[in-house]
Amino acid sequence: MTTLGPIRAPLALLVVAALLLAACQGGGPTTTNPIGQIGSDQPDPNGELITNLGSEPDTIDPHKASFVGEIAVVMSVFEGLMTLDPKTLRPVPAAAAKDPDVTPDGKQWKFTVRDGLKFSDGSPLTAKDFERGFLRTCDPRTAGDYAFVLYVVAGCEKWNTMDVRKASAAELDAAKRAVGIKAVDEKTLQLDLIEPAAYFGSIAYMWVGMPVKQESLDKGGERWTEPATYIGNGPFKLTSWKHNESMVFERNEHYWRGPAKLKKWTRVMLNEGAVAFAAYRNNEIDTLGVSAEDLRTIESDNELRSQMRDVAGSCTYYIGFNSSRPPMDDPNVRIAFARSFDRDGYIRDIQKIGAAANGGFIPPGIPGYDKDDTAQRFDPAAAKAALAKSKYSGQAELRSVKFTYASSSRTKTRVEWLQQQWKNNLGVEAIPDPVDSTAYTQLVKKLETTPLMFILGWCADFPDQQNWLTTVFHSTSTVAKTGWKNAKYDELVRQADRESDKAKRDQMYLDASRMLSAEAPAAWLYYVTGKIMIKPWVKGVTTTALDSVLGQFRMWEVYVTKKG
Amino acid sequence: MIRYVTRRLLLLIPTLFFVALITFALAHAAPGSPFDKNPDRPLPQETIERLERLYGVDRPLPEQFVLYIGNLLRFDLGSSLVKDRSVADIIGSQFPVSAQLGLQALLLALAVALPLGVISALRHNSALDYGSMAFATLGTTIPSFVIAIFAIYLFAVNLKLVPIVGWGTPKHMLLPTIILSLGAMAFLTRITRASVLEAIGQDHVRTARGKGLSEQTVIVVHVLKNAMIPIATIVGPATAGLITGSFIIETIFNVPGLGREFVLSIARRDYPLIMGVYLLYAFLIAVANLTVDILYGLLDPRIRVS
Repeated sequence: MTTLGPIRAPLALLVVAALLLAACQGGGPTTTNPIGQIGSDQPDPNGELITNLGSEPDTIDPHKASFVGEIAVVMSVFEGLMTLDPKTLRPVPAAAAKDPDVTPDGKQWKFTVRDGLKFSDGSPLTAKDFERGFLRTCDPRTAGDYAFVLYVVAGCEKWNTMDVRKASAAELDAAKRAVGIKAVDEKTLQLDLIEPAAYFGSIAYMWVGMPVKQESLDKGGERWTEPATYIGNGPFKLTSWKHNESMVFERNEHYWRGPAKLKKWTRVMLNEGAVAFAAYRNNEIDTLGVSAEDLRTIESDNELRSQMRDVAGSCTYYIGFNSSRPPMDDPNVRIAFARSFDRDGYIRDIQKIGAAANGGFIPPGIPGYDKDDTAQRFDPAAAKAALAKSKYSGQAELRSVKFTYASSSRTKTRVEWLQQQWKNNLGVEAIPDPVDSTAYTQLVKKLETTPLMFILGWCADFPDQQNWLTTVFHSTSTVAKTGWKNAKYDELVRQADRESDKAKRDQMYLDASRMLSAEAPAAWLYYVTGKIMIKPWVKGVTTTALDSVLGQFRMWEVYVTKKG
Repeated sequence: MIRYVTRRLLLLIPTLFFVALITFALAHAAPGSPFDKNPDRPLPQETIERLERLYGVDRPLPEQFVLYIGNLLRFDLGSSLVKDRSVADIIGSQFPVSAQLGLQALLLALAVALPLGVISALRHNSALDYGSMAFATLGTTIPSFVIAIFAIYLFAVNLKLVPIVGWGTPKHMLLPTIILSLGAMAFLTRITRASVLEAIGQDHVRTARGKGLSEQTVIVVHVLKNAMIPIATIVGPATAGLITGSFIIETIFNVPGLGREFVLSIARRDYPLIMGVYLLYAFLIAVANLTVDILYGLLDPRIRVS
């Protein structure tokens, strides 16, 4: 090793170096092809797309994947029973022939597998392969991070949480047999749920339910995710994986929608943003997720700017309050904090790429987004009035309020900006309290250690209100212990979770969402959005809030024209 | 000689054992869990505890250590707790890349530093001497990531001489090899210059000159051979340092090596990977030192190895 020092310092400096370079190059002419010179609009039948995956995925096992890059790989090689309509992000049939048949009590879901489906090696794909996939997610030995989304399936939680060291093989086997996931025949997969879960169609799109061949698992063992045995049913197949370097995908000739328009899709692994930007300018990669550091360079260059487009995101950052401790146990204090910082200014001055959270908890692009939710809108006068109404008005508790965050220079800037806003607009002094990031994640897990104020982000696992309003803010949530409990809210979201009437269900969540914003167990800070660069010869790209950096939906439609 | 080497090789066993013990203790002393990967998305404590049970990370540390050593004796390095790969697999595919890049950088460094250092010393206080010392000072003080990013923009983006993405062809390896070698090159130039300067002033050199030997013979036989001892002392550990990979060079140049893997494994508390890579590094450094010790004997008969 030549370097054992802290990782952060050199990388931070690197950003500085990149900025200097960017500044030097700012307005200068670039050498990439001007748009006008690109050849025809016809797809090149041998077209290759090159994108950047960032760092190497830790796993591409569909039943273990949990990070964006991991999921993006799974989604190009596999396809679930359902997929999401890119416009609404609501579930529509994919490997399933039609919408699922649900019993009137909402607890039994039957999916019918499309006729003639094949894996990419040409072997037939049946309901049994889906059963194997779903079961594998519940298997405690798989130990995937996303098993919890299937806990709504009867018996899954019990099996998944068994202690494999203590339990006997027979006990594990019995628990497996009790799980409500059954292929009743070649074509039908039946799932029995513990309660009517109206959001289950969205779960059926997820990686946790991807079909897998028994032969792949047997032959590949621990290494089944290598190209030889990593066989799926999606638009692409993995043909090469040079670890820490690149992955190559080629079109799956057996894909039921017909072969993808791209012949080849190479995903390289450039870890460093400044290097990825250089590679994009050099035409070595065709798309790029834009970082705030590169934004100025791009905006000052007409050609680069014309290749940039905005994409929605699926995450919201929020300032959490510990509602069990003074002064945050008073909703007036919480709402005063929530209404006294300028969210538009925050995006302009600090975040650069992002959207002001001028709505509810759920971000734009995700079902349940409520742009008319004004409860937390920036309004210093209303904030001061709320504070004056509070029982802590003028009390010692309000003189210094500790604001804990995971120490990094970026977060420090955010926190100091907020501190200034509260001082100016509310006259309250927040005391920044940086802690080590590993220690920080421990703090919010127990109410006794949850800081008075903290910053966290939440990203959609699947696009449904349940995954936001129930998962994060129901009083039994394990996401972050805010100590906020409202019996009416708890009941409303649980009712909505079970409601099968779509309109009614949306209305119930909307009411709950407004209640949440008004009670303010957290102040919405900003919605994550992205900017991506796409070379003019790449066509047919669909982006949604779930795949801000190209990858999950309708990739079979993407093509490249002959360059130049 | 053979007895000496055998004894040193046998000494490796307790050395590696203590390296394993200390690494194990330190790695586990750091707070945090390999299963809590995402700072924005803390996993519930029960889930982490369940995963720790599944992978045996909850067992008492002495028990875990004994198990680890037992597996090690069967040449089983275990599996990564974070990645879906075995430690042997990761080392096997990533180490050769770092080793190749490191050796290339070392050879380049030696090829430049030795002649430059010797000439600087022989032309002491000349313009060339000042020039090479200026280079040596810059090479040790400018951080490699600054030079790396600059080189990418200059040679890849503006001049289009080399590609940025990919690995394996000579064109891909050119920039990372040169930039990785710069630090060692600068340092070795200074050491070589200093050693040669010191050797030139010694009595036996004056004697050799007095005997009427040609200047060439004096330099090659009497000066360089003596000057090699401090250089060899530096080259040993430098070799180990270069072939084990550099986090910064590997990150910036997209090199699929082991250096980056190693630094990340520490940050992520991936105990089996930390252990595996540390043991490999300890082994390489021990072998490098042994090689240097044997070289001493060849360079200077006064240093008796037995």
